[in-house]
Formats: sequence, structure tokens, C-alpha cells
Amino acid sequence: MKKSEEAFVQKKYKTSVGSKVFTVLNTLFMAFFVIITLYPVLNTLAISLNDGTDALRGGIYLLPRKWTLQNYATVIQKNNLITGAAVSVARTVLGTVTALAANALLAFIVSRKRFLFKSQLSLFWVVTMYVNGGLIPVFLLYKGLGLTNSFWVYVIPGMVSAFNMLVLRTYMVGIPDSLEESAQLDGAGYMTIFTKIISPLCKPVYATVALFVAVGQWNSWFDAMLYNRMSGEYTTLQYELMKLLSSVTNQGASAESMKNAAAAGAVTPTSVRAAATILTMLPIVCLYPFLQRYFITGLTIGGVKE
Amino acid sequence: MALMTAAVLGASALAGCGGGSDGTTAAADPGKGGSAEGGIREYTAFFAVPGSEINDDNEVQQIIAEKTGAKVKETWLTGQTAAEAIGTMIAGGEYPDFIDGSDGTAQLYEAGALIALDDYLDDYPNIKEFYTDAEWDSLRQDDGHIYWIPQFGNIWEKDMSAEHNDEAFWIQTRVLKWAGYPEIKTLDQYFDLIESYNEANPTMEDGTANIPYTILCEDWRYFCLENAPQFLDGYPNDGSVIVDPDTLTVIDYNTTPTAKLYFGKLNEEFQKGIVDPESFTQTYDEYIAKLSTGRVLGMVDQYWDFTSARDSIIAQGLDTQGCSYVPLPITISEDVKNQWHTGGGSGTLNISNGIGISVSCQDVEGALQFLNDLLDPEIRVLRSWGVEGVDYEVGDDGLFYRTQEMRDKVVDTAYKASHLCTYSYFPTYTGMSADGINAASPAEQPKEFLDSLKADVRECLEAYGCSTYVDMLGNNEVPGPWYPMYSHSNNMTTATPGGTAWTKMGEIKHEYLPKIVMAPDFDAAWEEYMQVYSECKPEDFLSEMQAELDRRMQVAEESAKTEASE
Amino acid sequence: MKAPKAKPSGQDRKITWKEIKRQKVLLFWSAVFVLYGFIFCYLPLGGWLMAFQNYKPKDGIFHSAFVGLDKFEQLFSDMTFLRVIRNTLAMGVINLVSTFVMAIVFAILLNEVRSRIGKKSVQTISYLPHFLSWIIVTGILHDALSSSGIINELLLKFGILDQPLNFFAHPRYFWWIVAFANVWKETGWNAIIYLAAITAIDPSLYEAASIDGAGRWAKIRNITLPGIKPTIMILLLMNVGNVLNAGFEVQYLLGNGLVKSVSETIDIYVLKWGISQGDYALGTAAGIFKSVVSIVLILVANQLAKRAGEERLF
Repeated sequence: MKKSEEAFVQKKYKTSVGSKVFTVLNTLFMAFFVIITLYPVLNTLAISLNDGTDALRGGIYLLPRKWTLQNYATVIQKNNLITGAAVSVARTVLGTVTALAANALLAFIVSRKRFLFKSQLSLFWVVTMYVNGGLIPVFLLYKGLGLTNSFWVYVIPGMVSAFNMLVLRTYMVGIPDSLEESAQLDGAGYMTIFTKIISPLCKPVYATVALFVAVGQWNSWFDAMLYNRMSGEYTTLQYELMKLLSSVTNQGASAESMKNAAAAGAVTPTSVRAAATILTMLPIVCLYPFLQRYFITGLTIGGVKE
Repeated sequence: MALMTAAVLGASALAGCGGGSDGTTAAADPGKGGSAEGGIREYTAFFAVPGSEINDDNEVQQIIAEKTGAKVKETWLTGQTAAEAIGTMIAGGEYPDFIDGSDGTAQLYEAGALIALDDYLDDYPNIKEFYTDAEWDSLRQDDGHIYWIPQFGNIWEKDMSAEHNDEAFWIQTRVLKWAGYPEIKTLDQYFDLIESYNEANPTMEDGTANIPYTILCEDWRYFCLENAPQFLDGYPNDGSVIVDPDTLTVIDYNTTPTAKLYFGKLNEEFQKGIVDPESFTQTYDEYIAKLSTGRVLGMVDQYWDFTSARDSIIAQGLDTQGCSYVPLPITISEDVKNQWHTGGGSGTLNISNGIGISVSCQDVEGALQFLNDLLDPEIRVLRSWGVEGVDYEVGDDGLFYRTQEMRDKVVDTAYKASHLCTYSYFPTYTGMSADGINAASPAEQPKEFLDSLKADVRECLEAYGCSTYVDMLGNNEVPGPWYPMYSHSNNMTTATPGGTAWTKMGEIKHEYLPKIVMAPDFDAAWEEYMQVYSECKPEDFLSEMQAELDRRMQVAEESAKTEASE
Repeated sequence: MKAPKAKPSGQDRKITWKEIKRQKVLLFWSAVFVLYGFIFCYLPLGGWLMAFQNYKPKDGIFHSAFVGLDKFEQLFSDMTFLRVIRNTLAMGVINLVSTFVMAIVFAILLNEVRSRIGKKSVQTISYLPHFLSWIIVTGILHDALSSSGIINELLLKFGILDQPLNFFAHPRYFWWIVAFANVWKETGWNAIIYLAAITAIDPSLYEAASIDGAGRWAKIRNITLPGIKPTIMILLLMNVGNVLNAGFEVQYLLGNGLVKSVSETIDIYVLKWGISQGDYALGTAAGIFKSVVSIVLILVANQLAKRAGEERLF
């Protein structure tokens, strides 16, 4: 069935000149797009594999000029990196699962047509996207709740995000009501409808939101710095890398502090940053193909019979 | 394809499991500091500046811990401003044992987060001896107490610095060599030399075009453009103002006739194509890249700011083409004596911040004892030289030296983290070691300096009858007890009219100085700049600086009086 | 702080006991979410008090002296701040339009790629720049646009310029460079949402259209676009509220003294005049201003969407 459909579709395209032109132009556009988006990544890779002092004079594009693994060695030898990586993985897994569950449930509630307060509850969350109490009040709150010097600060405060909730809601609204109605006739409660009917249909958007949350969790370091600065056991990979980077770049330095800083080493900020970037990208790049199939292969609600 | 996917799946699954279990062990690990472990007292420290963290099992730190009975876990500023980091800490009310607030120091004092140290000082001879009574007095806050100890610029016996670690007009040795090592003392001579050299040799040996003169002007590094007028007039680096030592009044170096001459000269050279047209848009990285290629003949900068470019030039062997930089004693006219280098006397004391002990510290005596022990001669050597036989050797004459292998090792980031422990933001001496033979640190050791000198620099220094970079400029005593005034302006905030004016002046200079250098009509551009500049109310700033100058002079006078009467 | 009493939009149901009982599960979880949101999102807004105080860390929020609207006056009487608002708005709008349009165009065109492997690889590559930090991306952009960079080289080769142009020295290019940087870094990433939305479109619609002889453009216009319209609308509405968050890092890293008049955003201003001076009140005041503008914008946008019968935020 699927095969014949494709054959049919392809045959149809072959007949149209306009379609051919479209294909050519589209391919060209995609090629151009791939080149300009791949370039910075390859450039970073090349710099990460190039001798730091040599890279300073510029002129490195796609290939390293003076090969070395020194930059990676510097990053990998960073103290606490293993602890940091473990905490990062833990927060990414736990954070993604909880955030997805919470956002999906909330989105489910506000996407029910019958729900009495759907507009008010949506507004309540929409507002949170645009207001922010500021660093210090948030710090005081977390401290009061016992979330500082604790792993849970990575999971609990950021569990619900209005943005993700709205993305999920939009998708859920598009699911035909008839499914919910027929399930209700069969005596299913809301939670059953959520878990058994809606959720399985939401795989593509769940994958999207999971990706957003996971990437956010994996890349975040400011919370570790702010709330767990003094407790080494809750450090994260990205925070350790930031510490390494800010020590080599003297980010936020002043003339006074630079003068007092110890002399620079054999690696340079640019090359260490490149190596750290490549290393932290890897897990996400590896994870992506598994999520990707949910939003590219056309596994769809459309397949559901109404 | 499927195989690859399977491999990736396997790998990430493994990572997931391994990571998860590691996470639990890590979380369950009760490694919380603060308590004594094996009789060693543990302290925490936070420094509101960027710095390198050392490993928990650092070897020299362990040796120091065994000798002193204490160790400190250091944390540094990451991704925040100092004021922000300190502000959060104050809001939370929890501090590490030791703290240097950097720009946030005044906030710490106001919040009552620091312990007054003056009552303790007499019990800790090494700390007490670290400053003279007059210097301790200059550290007293308005309540009469001392809360922090500035760590740097304290010279033991004599200044040993061979490198001029500060600002100067730098020039490549090839330019000087080509001209037969002439005396270059004024701004005009400097640019004339660069011009004529560039005319005769427009390219490097490989045909790359020279960049005769470039200016770094990114963010806070725009001092390379803006503060030369104070030096050109023969004053030392007070940073934000000139202090007339005779009348003890502050002078604004932005509006002096010399400032106009200097920017006028830059404008003239810009129009001639001598000043790099990308000067005002380049980032620091681009600037370093340019310097690293050896194309740039000269610039104004602080020595530490282009360390990596110097390393790169040497790594490429460009020093053999004469691409190393040496400083020149440039002033506005020959009759003005330069003060680019002020290393004489007891050192430059920046009173605006330093290390303090917080009210959260449970064991103030122990913490002070540790500070005291760190200044012990033996520990000082451990901190700055490392371990004998590992990081340095001792010659028959008692002189410390490093083998090439040791030199290579000590710049390695990983080695530094696992082995060396300088406690760099704890009080430290420069100059001599206590043994009276060696310099306080390898960088200051004459032999280490001579060994590191490249042939082109050596030839150049010899031609001028100098043995160090500092000799090129001449050494100067610190001009007076007020010095340096930047320790006050650095800590100004918009809470006062003077601080507001200071911030505005910086903003305006950032915007207008590039414009006046590039302007086709310099005089008109200068007029406009002066107009906008005066709207910032620099007089507010100057009067606060004058008040601080007066205050510092008064403190110094009173100290002198008590000392005389004792 | 409670949600304002919005008119129950498009809600025809009356609150009756029967309905409440029917929805008790939903109501229970709603209450949990409201409590959670109140604690983590609304409670810290107490910090807004700082904007009306001469906030001193030592006194905290509860003991600092109140100064009324001083901080707001300070902001709005400063000509620089007005300039900064203009820059922020301009860059916010340009970024919004360009990144938004590009993401949609890219998602749709990617969906039209026939080869499955091609589609997958293009997508995988396209989102990679999202993981590069701004400092890396701006560094590469600086290289490309420098006087010896590839762009100048091309322009010289094709005779469009007769000498290298220093792009970063001219205020007129700055906003567009920033927009390009944003598009470059985020298009692939932003497209993910639309790609997910496209999967929800019923393939039988395309089949039917093909049978009717519709070309590819017609299908994009009549099937794909309407299919993802709700997603587009929701993201558009959300982004409208974000125009004042035009960013900080990219402008900071690409800016310099010569383009200062067009490069500074509200966030940079706040860093310079507030945070780095230890003046939290000023930063908070600017934050409140941004929040108010954002909320007004989304209320208006939402109302417009409602009138037009489109998807709404609430």
C-alpha cells in the first residue's frame, strides 16, 4: 500500500515540468543550507584538533593545520568531570521525564474543550513567560525551599514551561474530539483518555518537547553555579566546562585581575572552547536520530481512522 | 547504516546506565567540606575574579596542608559580574571562609559580611609584617577598622622584574634594527620610524603586507587607545586621572593639550594608512591573530594582554625575522621624562580590595594562622616555585633554575591543576625570596629571564645597553602614598554623581574616540567630542577623585605623625 | 497575584456542580499546577518591589528604603535608554520576522525533499549550529565579514565593490548582520516544531490533491500551510511578546564603539548601568518595563487573533 502510493506520487511528479524545476531549486537550496550550517561545526571541529598557539594566527577553515589532541586532553583531565557528567545525565533524564509528564498533563487539561477554566489557566501560564522576579528573589525562594545545595534544584523549578505546554496544547487541540467522546462513551475517565488515547498520538510532539527539555537540561550550567557553587557533588558537566573556560578566557576579567593572573598555558581559550563544544554536542547528536524518526517519517495521526 | 545506529544506541545506552549509577553514588557521597579530616583544617574561599580551579588531590596543596595543618578549597567567578555574585551571596547570607569581593568588596563591607582584622594582626607576625603601619592605616575603612588584605604588588627587598608587565608603546625589533637602533623618545619619532620602515619594507619575508600600527579597542581593553595621554605627559599609571605631585591636584588627561596632540597624531596616521583601518572593529581574538602573524609593527598595549601572541610568534620562529616586541620610552616631547614603569619602592598597593575573612567563618584564628603560614619563607617557595627536584633544581650557588623539561611541564593546564598550588589570591610577595639569593618566582629570576630571551630581543637590548625590558624604559619609584588612583575609580558606582559621570565618560569615549581618529576633519570632530564629553559632567568625577586624593594624603600624614611620635 | 478575570473566551459552558464533578480530575490537577506556578513563577515577583527601592543587599528586599518611581524616571529621562529601546524593538522585530519566516520556509521545503536519507541528514545538520555558543558563531561571522574575509573577497571578485568594506564599521549593516546570525544559528532548530506539526497532516489529503492534479505549490499552499497554521499562530503570538528580548550576547559580541548607537539593547544597558554597578533596582525596573510591554503586546495580539477567528494563546 505504502509502496504503491509512493510510486504513484513519484510518477505524478515526473510528469510535471514545474515539479522538476521545484526539485532542482529545492535541492540547490538545501545544499546551500547544508553548506552554511555545516561550516561552523566543521570549523569548530578543525580548531579543536589544531594546536592552540598555532590556531591563534587564524586561517583555519575545514582542516587542522597542526594536529593535536591536547585540547581534548585538557578538557578531559578537568577535575570533577566524571561527577559532573553523571549529574548532568541524571538531571537530563529525570528532568526530561518529569517535565514532559507535567507539561503534557497541563497541556491535556487546557486542551479539553469542556474544561471550565481553560482560558484562565492558559493565561496564568502564558504570563509566566514574560515576567521574571530577578536573580535575587528567586535565589531567596529556592534557599527558603531548601533547593540550594541540592540536586532537586535542577528538576523541580523548571518542570513546567509555558512554551512547551503551548506547543503540546496546539498539537493536542488538533486531535479530533471524536476520539475522546467515543472513549468517554466507553466509560473512560480523563486520565485514561490522557494516557491511553491522546499520549500515543502525540509521539511527534512529545519527541519535540523532550528534545527541547533535554537539550536545555544538558546545556544548562548557570543554575549549578548559582545554587550549588560550594557543593562539589552536585556540580554538572557544563558548569565544570564553564569553569575551565572562564579560567582560560578570563571572561569577565578586568585589567587588574588579568595582571595578577598566572601566565597563560599551552592551550588557548578558542581551542579549549572548541573541544568542549564538540564533546558536549556529541551526546545530543547521538540521541537525535532516535527522536528524529518521530517527526520525520510521517508516522501520523492521519493514520488514525475517524 | 543499521549497524551504525545499533552501535550508537549501544553506546548511549551504556552511557545512560553508567551515568545514572554514577549519579547516585556521587549524590550519596558525603564529601562536604568545612570539617577537619585527618587533623587538617579545611576552609573555603571565593574570589570574585576568574581563575583556575585546582584539583582536590593537588600535590603541592597536600604538602602545604601537611606543613601548615590547613587547606583551602578555592572557587572563582564564573559567568557573572563580581557585583552580581557578591550581591547574591549577601542576599543568601552565607559566605565562604575567605572572600575577595573584587568590585563587590564595598558591598561586602556595607553588608557587614567581613570580620575586622586589625585586633588580630599583632598575633600573626607574617601578616603584620606584610605591610607597613602607614599602609595598614591606608586600609582602614570609615569605621576605623581593617577588613581586607590586598594580596598583590608587595615587593620583598627589591623589584626583580625584568619584564615590563604594564603598558607601553611596543615596537618590533626588526624596525629598530633596520634603523640602526636609534633613540626613539617621542610620539612623532615613533611614528616617523614606523612610516619610514614600512615604506622601505612594506612586507614580511614571505610577502605578507605589514600592518604598521593597530589599536585594540574592544570593551574594557580600550585602554590601548584611551589612556596613553597620561603616560605621554610623563605621569605614571594612576589610571583614571593624572595627579600633579607638586600641587596634589587631579588633572583630567582626556582634555589636555597632549591628548589632543595624541589623537591628532593618530588621526593623521590613520589618513596616511598607517593605522590599521580595522582597528576599531576588531575583536580581541582578531587582534591577537594579527599580532601572531608578526605583521603588526607597533601598538600600545599592556604586556600581559598579548602574552599568547608572543608565544605564537616564538612557536612559528618569527622571532628570527625580528617580530618580537620591545617597549619604547615614548613621551610627547623629549624634555618629558617617562614613567611607564613604576616598580620601585615597596610596590603598588591597591587598597580597594583584597582577601577578607567572612562572618560565616567558624574559626577565625585558624584562618588567620593559615594566612600567616602561607607567608612563611618555605611555603612561599612551595607556592611560587613548586617542589625541589620536580619543578626546579638548586644550583651549587644556591640559585634555583628550571630545566627546559620543567618549563614545558609547568605551563601544562592539567599539570598545573593536579600538581601546582600557588594560592594565587592569597597574600603573596614579588621581588626576592627570603633567602636573599633567588627571586620570589621563576618569572622574576634573572637567569630564567635570560634563558627565555630570544636572539632578536637580546641583540636589541644590547644595542641600547640594556639587560631587561625594564631597562628600556627606566624604573621609577611609586610617586606617592595616593598611588594608584584607579583603585578608587574602579570601585565607583552610579550611586554617586561622580560614579555616574565616570560611567558616562567611558561610554562617550568608547563611541567618540574611534570617530575622531577616523574623521576627515579632525578639529571639527575633536570640538564635537569635547562638547559631548563635557555634557557627561566630568567635573563631578574629578571632584570625587580630588576628595579621595585629599583623604589618602591625610591618612598618610596622620600615619607619619603617629610613627614619628612613637 | 491571580489571573485577571478574562472573559471566558469561546467558552459556552456554565459552571455547574455537575460539570465540576465531571471534571474533578482536571480541576484537581489544575489546582496543583496553579499552586506550583504560584510558588515558582509568581512568588518571586515580590522582587519587583526592588524597583521602587534604593535596594541595598545588606538590607534586603524587606528593609531597603522606598524611593517610589525614581528608577523609572531615571530610565526614561535618559536619552540613551530611549535609543536602546529603539534598537531593541528594531532588532526584535527584524529577528522575529526573519527567524520565524525562515524556519517555516525551511520546514516546508525540507518536507518536500523526496529522498528520506537526504531529508534526515539535512535536518540533522541544520540544527547543529544551535549547539555552538554565540562566541563561536560571532567569531566565524567576524572572520567571514572581515576585510580579507570570504564575503569581501566575493564582492571584490564580482566587481560589486572596488575595495574591501568594513561591515562592522557602519551602523546601517548592524541590525541585518544580527538578524543573519540569528537565522543562521537557529533556523534548523526552530524548524523542528513545524516538522513535528507537519507529521500531523493526514497524508490522504495530499493523495487526494494529487489525484486532482494539484502541483507542489498548490499542495504547500492548500494543505501543508493550513495544516501547520495553528502552530504558526501560537508561535507567532508567543514571539510577539518577546520582541523586547532581542538578545544580549550577540549584540555584545558583534558590537563596537562605531556602531554603539545601534547595537545596544535593553539587556546590555541593564548590565552596564545596573548589574555591573551593583544596582539591582535599575535592572528590576527595566525588567518590569519589559514585562508590561510584553503582556500588553500579547493581550492585543491575542485579541486580534480572536477577532480573526485564529488559534489563540488563551
